[in-house]
Amino acid sequence: METDLKAILPQPTAATRPFWEACDREELLLAHCEECGNDFYYPRLACPHCGNRRLGWRKSTGRGRVFSFSHVQMSFHGPAWETQLPYTVILVELEEGPRMLSRLIGDGRANVKSGDPVEVVFPEIDGQKLPYFRPSRSTA
Amino acid sequence: MPALSRDIVIAGIGETKVGRLTGMSSVEIQALAVLAALDDAGVALRDLDGLINLDPYATPNSMFSSTLAEYLGLKPRFLSTVDVGGTVTGMTMIQQAAWAIEAGHCDLCVCVYGEDTLSGRAAGVQGLHMHNLLGGEEWEEPFGLQGMVIPYALLTQRYFDLYDANRDDLAAVAVTTREHALRNDNAQMKKPITVEDYYAARPISTPLGLLDCSLVSDGGGAVLLASRERARSLGARVVPVRSMAMQFTHNTVALMPDIPDLGMAPAGQRAFEDAGIGPKDIDFAALHDAFTISVLVTLDALGFSRPGEAGAMVRGGATKLGGSLPLNTHGGLLSQAHVGGMLHITEAVRQLRGEAGKRQVEGARHAIVSGNGGVFSICGVMILEAA
Repeated sequence: METDLKAILPQPTAATRPFWEACDREELLLAHCEECGNDFYYPRLACPHCGNRRLGWRKSTGRGRVFSFSHVQMSFHGPAWETQLPYTVILVELEEGPRMLSRLIGDGRANVKSGDPVEVVFPEIDGQKLPYFRPSRSTA
Repeated sequence: MPALSRDIVIAGIGETKVGRLTGMSSVEIQALAVLAALDDAGVALRDLDGLINLDPYATPNSMFSSTLAEYLGLKPRFLSTVDVGGTVTGMTMIQQAAWAIEAGHCDLCVCVYGEDTLSGRAAGVQGLHMHNLLGGEEWEEPFGLQGMVIPYALLTQRYFDLYDANRDDLAAVAVTTREHALRNDNAQMKKPITVEDYYAARPISTPLGLLDCSLVSDGGGAVLLASRERARSLGARVVPVRSMAMQFTHNTVALMPDIPDLGMAPAGQRAFEDAGIGPKDIDFAALHDAFTISVLVTLDALGFSRPGEAGAMVRGGATKLGGSLPLNTHGGLLSQAHVGGMLHITEAVRQLRGEAGKRQVEGARHAIVSGNGGVFSICGVMILEAA
């Protein structure tokens, strides 16, 4: 696994803070609409499917498949990020359905292909655990 | 059917020099573009009573329509600043100008965008470092995403996986638009490129390299709208807008639908329906080309190619001057300049007026302009017709 990971940390709102606090407990949460039953990402004040504001949280299995990926080969964050290159940004389709943007880390990252199974991991960066993914060890 | 009024026409276009305009501010650039459009239409500055613009992206300004109106010494009865994204902003400005004129809020309305994006950006910044661009920072920045290249890289990889396309397809777009730019004296890029140059260019974010990415440019473009009657009395060479349609789907790339479900296809379908013509009737295409992939996705979505076959179409030469669908004859955002797509619109007008000189598409009657803001987040299509 990579060491010295860099990230710009999130600036949560009151509505999104539970998501990031759950990451610190190594749980990936999806917002859940009590009205229409849909899970959604990213968390919002109202369900993007039906507009309802009676919302809860569901714990995701943290497993999914790579929908797309890119190995970033130049720094968009100045010279300080040269040490991160190349790093891998992915779109993950979670088992529950919603898609999220994340970073792929760990062994096998360089050979990733779309459709590959991945699982969430929570490296801590500057005091915040972030929901990154690594290639799954066993096929989902 | 939401057709644009047949009685409102494009009566003038203006374009500043593009590239590096050292020492010029955004308001100065927009003012020059407006003045060029007024000159083109034969309109006196004091008669301009409507103004719509987009404020600079690299250095955002509040109330920029007021800034520009004052700079020009105007007292408009109607003004507005519009920011929808990509070339869709230009189309939306035109749409709103047409409505404003039709409803009697003004008689002559200029639509303008321009800024010192290249020379005005902070030292050491790569690409266009925009603030709050996709509004999804909380769900992007912690994962290493910054700017527009990485979202487009993700889109490109998806296109490759879905259609078994590859970088040869992208290279064909880069080379074609560069060939066209060499016929445009007002283009930032002056040297030809080959497919070998494309592959040798600096890697950026797989599968994209430097020549997949549009330019960062200083420059401005403006379009003047007027009633047909007013334009005729001015002696202006007019171009009617037949239709304009847009479709929003998402903002952040995390919520981007799969390629067949992006907004470009429905926007195109409506634009064609409202214009009463189809893809076969189009003589010239100005397609938003912030990245090479944008052209492929758009050709497929608008029905110029079957899904996934745009690459073969471009590689086969159909989109070159002399081909069945000449594309971005001005060089586009990839090789002329990135002025938010305003120059896609001015080029379409120029082609339909038969004034494109050594890059004229013979007998061009119908032009299509596509736009997309974000990562195909908002898609727009406009169809123009020769008078």
